[in-house]
Amino acid sequence: MARNPSTDPPADLLGPVQGEVSWFCCGTAWGPCSSTGKGACGTCNSGSLQHAWPNASDACWAITRPDSCGVSLSRRTCGFRHRTTSLCGGASVVTAIADCGPQTDLFCGERSCCGSTCANNRLIDLTPAAYSRIASLSTGLRPCEIATG
Amino acid sequence: MRSRRDLLKSAVLGGGAGVVAATALGSLGPEAAFAASGPELEPGAPDPDFAEGRIRSIKDNTLLVLGSNAVFHRIRVVDGTSLWKLGPVPFDQAKPGDGLYARGVRMPDGELAAESVWLNIVNIKGHITNIKDQTLHLDHHGKEVLCHVIAGKSVAIRSDAPPSADLSMLKVSQHVQILGAWRPDTNEVDIATVFSPH
Repeated sequence: MARNPSTDPPADLLGPVQGEVSWFCCGTAWGPCSSTGKGACGTCNSGSLQHAWPNASDACWAITRPDSCGVSLSRRTCGFRHRTTSLCGGASVVTAIADCGPQTDLFCGERSCCGSTCANNRLIDLTPAAYSRIASLSTGLRPCEIATG
Repeated sequence: MRSRRDLLKSAVLGGGAGVVAATALGSLGPEAAFAASGPELEPGAPDPDFAEGRIRSIKDNTLLVLGSNAVFHRIRVVDGTSLWKLGPVPFDQAKPGDGLYARGVRMPDGELAAESVWLNIVNIKGHITNIKDQTLHLDHHGKEVLCHVIAGKSVAIRSDAPPSADLSMLKVSQHVQILGAWRPDTNEVDIATVFSPH
């Protein structure tokens, strides 16, 4: 898939951005999650209201590379708060950065929809506790809007 | 209008059989139910209305769950509770040893009255390293997870295309997200949905 150059300035400095939200596990856990660890910030737990952000550090950005999908995001570090609003039902949750992710570049151009409402590219991952406040965990992936919390 | 949470809480506090009439809660679609979620909490903090862990035992309609952080949870399942295990399931599909995430309303006695219980649910990302018969071999953080295609259950979603039971387009080396149900105490997962960007 063709990749677009990054936008400038970071889209999230101009206002809310739309993208995809998924969920991930961290901290003490069962099953395939049991070896996940506490995340890049050392504080991540599945039961806490937290999220992963693709530009949490230079090292993080080098892995996630949302710019390769044409999305430029601001540097936001551990503890920074974002509000994620589901574009499906309108529910929202405010969470704090606890990890680096998602790996946006590996899903470049992916698109999720609720009816005719769609959003492109993975921009944020929520913990199960946070995601389940705005959607069922069984949905796995949703279009969303992200703003500063 | 009373929220789903209010109905759940009052029904459990009301005692008796400890159940909520399905018709009282069933009128809300899933997204509407989540849109009616509770008050805002401190970002970064543990969510008191959420629990995770593994079922140690089941007594009547209560799951006794040991959290991975060694905190013990009592999770009450009522008529309005939705349970998921590779899809919607009845309460009798919950078994000791199952992992779970649960969301509901924390009662004054510490019990969680469950709105939703997801049994063994996992949502993992990784590269497909092999495809053999009806099994995808997934490299997830350097560990192999065997992901089984379940006839009549497993679907693939390629970007914004509708879900398809045809998983033949998946290729070795492709990066995917797999939502599924873990087989307890194994490195195996039954696939509900495979998400791929293309």
